[in-house]
Amino acid sequence: MKWTLRSLPEAWNRFFFAKQSPLPMALFRIVYGLLVIATLLLLRPDWLAWFGTHAWISLQTMQTAEPGTRINLFTIIPQSDGWIYALFWIFLSSAILLTVGLFTRINSVIVFLCLTSIHQRNLYITHGGDTFLRLAGFFLMFAPTGAALSLDRLLRIWRGKTRSVTEQAAPIEPQRPWAQRMIQIQLSLLYFAAFCHKVKSPAWLNGTALYYVYHLDSLRRFPVPAWLLRPTMLRWGGWSAIALEFALGVLIWVKDLRYILLAIGLLFHLWLEYSLNIALFQWDVLSGYILFVDPADASRAWNWIKLRTTGRRVDPA
Amino acid sequence: MKVDQEKHNWPKWIPKANIVAINLFLIFHIIAITCWCVPLDVPPFPQCRKLVRPYFLWAGLFQAWDMFAPTPWPSNSYVEATVIYKDGSRTTWSFPRMEQLSLTDRYFKERYRKFSEVIQIDDNDALWPDVARHIARLKSTPSNPAKTIILIRWFSPIIPHPDGSYQPEAWDRHVLLGYGVRPEDLQ
Repeated sequence: MKWTLRSLPEAWNRFFFAKQSPLPMALFRIVYGLLVIATLLLLRPDWLAWFGTHAWISLQTMQTAEPGTRINLFTIIPQSDGWIYALFWIFLSSAILLTVGLFTRINSVIVFLCLTSIHQRNLYITHGGDTFLRLAGFFLMFAPTGAALSLDRLLRIWRGKTRSVTEQAAPIEPQRPWAQRMIQIQLSLLYFAAFCHKVKSPAWLNGTALYYVYHLDSLRRFPVPAWLLRPTMLRWGGWSAIALEFALGVLIWVKDLRYILLAIGLLFHLWLEYSLNIALFQWDVLSGYILFVDPADASRAWNWIKLRTTGRRVDPA
Repeated sequence: MKVDQEKHNWPKWIPKANIVAINLFLIFHIIAITCWCVPLDVPPFPQCRKLVRPYFLWAGLFQAWDMFAPTPWPSNSYVEATVIYKDGSRTTWSFPRMEQLSLTDRYFKERYRKFSEVIQIDDNDALWPDVARHIARLKSTPSNPAKTIILIRWFSPIIPHPDGSYQPEAWDRHVLLGYGVRPEDLQ
């Protein structure tokens, strides 16, 4: 394709605004909601220990250590453990409703506000996966996430607001994917930034970084075979991680390379999930991969599943 | 680009204004997020980071993707507290240590690993009194309240050997804080 200055706005419009199936975004919404629910349930025994009135870090200390005006519902609600519990139950309810796609827009806003608030309330317990959920949550608020695979859509069909061409299903209206694109860009920047940090680091360039990582007792999950911990393997492992982060940050936008890179990225994160103890981090990041699946491929996969399970070719609700 | 005006009875300028607003939103966020998270110190990256910082902090768009860089944590370590009670007795309390927990417990207690790492960094010394107060509340009883909390960092350096072997080094300790507990700390 020949690129000219004139074709740039056209490419920009096509990339951000050409209507496409909202199926990948709807799938992402479901996985995103499940990950938020999982995060909250894993935190559940320590809700008050981390965020209560007598938490490890007081709200006042947090505001002194991390100054600035921030969206933080904890600064608005009365400082009592009852109110803080209520906030968490509202958050959890909203995450469930977002997952099933009921009142999707308002629940995506509530989930983002609550998620940002718990991060701002205690920034010292969050990892990169939490950060990705927060950033994706920001753009999710602007996305038509209830346009498919949602109770909202079913309600629209029942109320006759969405045209139904058959008794079973109505066609899904294509949507503008600009919010989806922003989450994709955010994910690729995540990898590219990680690549930049690593290439500036002597420990990563000389290949000793992974030696430290795999000898940290607190990070170890399942046993790693001894041959993988040899200096040569660790050196190559470190360099491969740098190369993969570059590829997932930059080359992911090359359509012909996309699926192979996503497959390698999936294996990479599954390996990290096996070997390192960072709860949910890998799944949080992997959730973003859904958005790189071509809507036509997602629809084909969905129809294949429906054909196998119901014997009928049906558009997703 | 085409706009779905047929669906709405809006004045023509409203959808156009929407598109302009969305485009400005996209351009701003792409530039701002790129400048924020790509660790380059050549213009305009630092200036851009400074400019968008208040908005990013407010909206929760701040982010860092240094992941084990520039150098991974170079030692095995944990934080322990010695609790000295009013009657002179002592006890030791330790943050949950992942290597001593079951697989399930590690999922639930992983935040303690992160928190324990953070409070070992001297730059975060402003957090130590809060941590000491929390431990005092955890370990006190009405009849025997905690009088002093001593936060201790235990560490064993990880030293790479040329043949790739790993020999655990001896554990050393570093006192982070000695804190005199006040009655109001236990409220």
